[in-house]
Amino acid sequence: MKSKCNKQIAVIFIISTILLSLLNIIVTDKEFSELENRYLQKKPSLTYKKLLSGEFSEDFEKYITDQFPLRNWWIKIKSDVERAVLKKDNNGIYFGKDGYLFEMYNKPEKTFYKNIEYINSFIDKTNINVSIMAVPNSFQIYSEKLPLFANPYDQAKVLNDLKNNLVSEAGFIDLIGVLQDKKDEYIYFKTDHHWTMLGAYYGYLEYCKVNNIEAVSLEEFQIIEKSNEFYGTYYSKANGTRVKPDKLEILELIKSKYSYLVNYIYEDEQSDNFYDDEYLSKKDKYSYFFGGNHSLITIKTTNKNGKKLLVIKDSYANAMIPLLANNFEEIHVVDLRYYKYNIYDYIKENNINEGLVLYNISNFNNDTGLAILNYY
Amino acid sequence: MVFSSLTFLFVFLPIVISIYFAAPSKFKNLVLFISSLIFYAWGEPVYILLMIFSTIVDYINGILVDKYSHDKNKSKKFVIISVIINLSLLCIFKYADFIILTINGFIGTDIPLLKLPLPIGISFYTFQTMSYTIDVYRKEAPVQRNIISLGAYVSLFPQLIAGPIVRYQTIAEQINTRKETLDKFGEGVSRFLIGLGKKVLIANNIGMLWNIIQSSSINNLSVLSLWFGISAFSLQIYFDFSGYSDMAIGLGKMFGFDFLENFNYPYISQSITEFWRRWHISLGSWFKDYVYIPLGGNKKGKFKTYRNLFIVWFLTGLWHGASWNFVIWGLYFGVIITLEKIFLINILKKAPKFFRHLYTTLILFISWVFFNFEEMSEGIEYLKGMFGFKELPIIDVNFLYYLTNYAVVFIVGIICATPIAKKFIKNKTIYALILFVIYFLSIAYLVDSSFNPFLYFRF
Repeated sequence: MKSKCNKQIAVIFIISTILLSLLNIIVTDKEFSELENRYLQKKPSLTYKKLLSGEFSEDFEKYITDQFPLRNWWIKIKSDVERAVLKKDNNGIYFGKDGYLFEMYNKPEKTFYKNIEYINSFIDKTNINVSIMAVPNSFQIYSEKLPLFANPYDQAKVLNDLKNNLVSEAGFIDLIGVLQDKKDEYIYFKTDHHWTMLGAYYGYLEYCKVNNIEAVSLEEFQIIEKSNEFYGTYYSKANGTRVKPDKLEILELIKSKYSYLVNYIYEDEQSDNFYDDEYLSKKDKYSYFFGGNHSLITIKTTNKNGKKLLVIKDSYANAMIPLLANNFEEIHVVDLRYYKYNIYDYIKENNINEGLVLYNISNFNNDTGLAILNYY
Repeated sequence: MVFSSLTFLFVFLPIVISIYFAAPSKFKNLVLFISSLIFYAWGEPVYILLMIFSTIVDYINGILVDKYSHDKNKSKKFVIISVIINLSLLCIFKYADFIILTINGFIGTDIPLLKLPLPIGISFYTFQTMSYTIDVYRKEAPVQRNIISLGAYVSLFPQLIAGPIVRYQTIAEQINTRKETLDKFGEGVSRFLIGLGKKVLIANNIGMLWNIIQSSSINNLSVLSLWFGISAFSLQIYFDFSGYSDMAIGLGKMFGFDFLENFNYPYISQSITEFWRRWHISLGSWFKDYVYIPLGGNKKGKFKTYRNLFIVWFLTGLWHGASWNFVIWGLYFGVIITLEKIFLINILKKAPKFFRHLYTTLILFISWVFFNFEEMSEGIEYLKGMFGFKELPIIDVNFLYYLTNYAVVFIVGIICATPIAKKFIKNKTIYALILFVIYFLSIAYLVDSSFNPFLYFRF
């Protein structure tokens, strides 16, 4: 096995290594990776200070890895090998059946119980009617599509825990059963961590039922496809796995009833609809709803029924608020990750009379923004 | 810098190789010295001074030891000075906080910790530099009068950060005169690629399993998961460490050096005594030649033999990390090897081969638990769980998930930890093909490397 082959091995190694090194120099740097949905490391500037602190070498290594020639191709090779050796997850994402990607969800920790306290203090400090809606993740609804023996923590238990720890169960809305009944429909994205607008519609329906509101029926909407090449966050995390893209669809009223004025308060922008076309050509197509998350959005409608709703939420609400807009005169949408003012003053000043706390369960487990509810 | 990085493979190595082979013979050591300093400075630039300091101190001491070689007393003094300086460096940078913590713990003082970042590979190169003056003193190697050549030895980047611990006598001649050939280069490449594959394809991937198990709370795991986890770590540390040694030996060959072997399929051992003859060979023989034998070895009666064994295993443990669990880990091996010496080996000889493997593996699994948990109580909890003292379920669905998810890499790991694979690949072309498939896949895994730890950071 020894001797004769060595020269050939030496020559092949030298040639292939030098070729790749040269390619590395020649290929122009990319700024953004669509595949991974992140900015790639740029060539670091060499300064005396950065060199001494070791920051330069760290950035340089990242730069070489990020800008490696044919990066996406290599990533796909790795992903194919992982499939070939029967790996069932990567980077916290399960490879489910039928092209589904799922989150490896763990038992909630301290932050979850803290957040329940914050919600309780919110309910105590306001005298408005508050609904609590914690939306399950896709794995909970499509558990039969999980890989063999995959065992994410049961969100039904989490919801039970949430319900039992709330000061009043009155406003608690459990969606697991509702969504399970509709699982044959396209209610969750396969490659993204959000629900679809259709999924959000069933959430909306349940919200209306619990609060004795007359919901707009599904027949009054038409489904419009906005994009058929949506690769979501699960896809980005799992890196290069071969699955089909999602479709981004919205529900639009066939005959519109009211007109809306959407006000992005801190961006000082206004719009007459809920969508941002710019995001249809970007990677993160879920941000088509309201152009992503904002600290405060107000929606004023021509439905003069005097009902004013405050929504405390994460991005799951973005797909549902366009539907809620048909039943309220005003909706105030607050994202506590960015909004840091006194919410109780805000409620009084704007004569708000309804409240909805809408979070995805997994987000709710980890979000630290809710602490602000206890602050004032 | 570490070998298993794209920066090393596609920036550092091609540049160094080009310059090295373009340079005339008399400048080759200078090229190696400078590139080694850059390699070392890459992560912690300040510590380049440490490397230069080491080189100068050992250079001067070497010369003085040689100069007074006719006067044992004087030359002995300079060896002692050299050993003290080297050990002081090691103590200050690696053990200072450990010593302070221990003192604080015992007498309740409140001495603040230094919190110095550990210079990579300091345990490896201080041992190497000590071997230089000692070898010169014992006349086992000639003195090195060229400071560049000595610098090239002290800082030689292939074995700088994770061994093998190359003793000066091994390469004293090669430092001055060595022959680089294409044939040897190819041999080095194939060794390097095998090491790269061990590290990137096996160690990193099986390490993910251990990472999951280790970061879970023990009470949420099943007994089988604990066993599976520690066996995953056993494979991880072997492939990580021996992969590094292979890469070092391979790189050495590319530049014309021949280092000694550091691993010889340790997991096929049938006793712990045999295991330590096959595991991290360069460390074992260092302690044997520079500590155990100078203390009298086993020639000075029973009491001194046991004392010497105790010292050697205490130090072997401590060398692995500045924490008590490593000391326990070392002494644990010392006790077992002593027991084997006294009577166990004789019993084992009569037992079937299968049992001998089972015995060795079991002892090793337990040792890796000690090795892993700096907090001794956590290690004990883990052992309790493994042996059914914690009322954990024997098996759960998570274990089945881990098992099915890591089965392939686990089996590949087990096969590659034995000489079986080598026996089967006889065809040269297939061998070369496999090497480049390993190279190709390693690049893919390095490009998308979310998990590429460096286990020897604290050594």
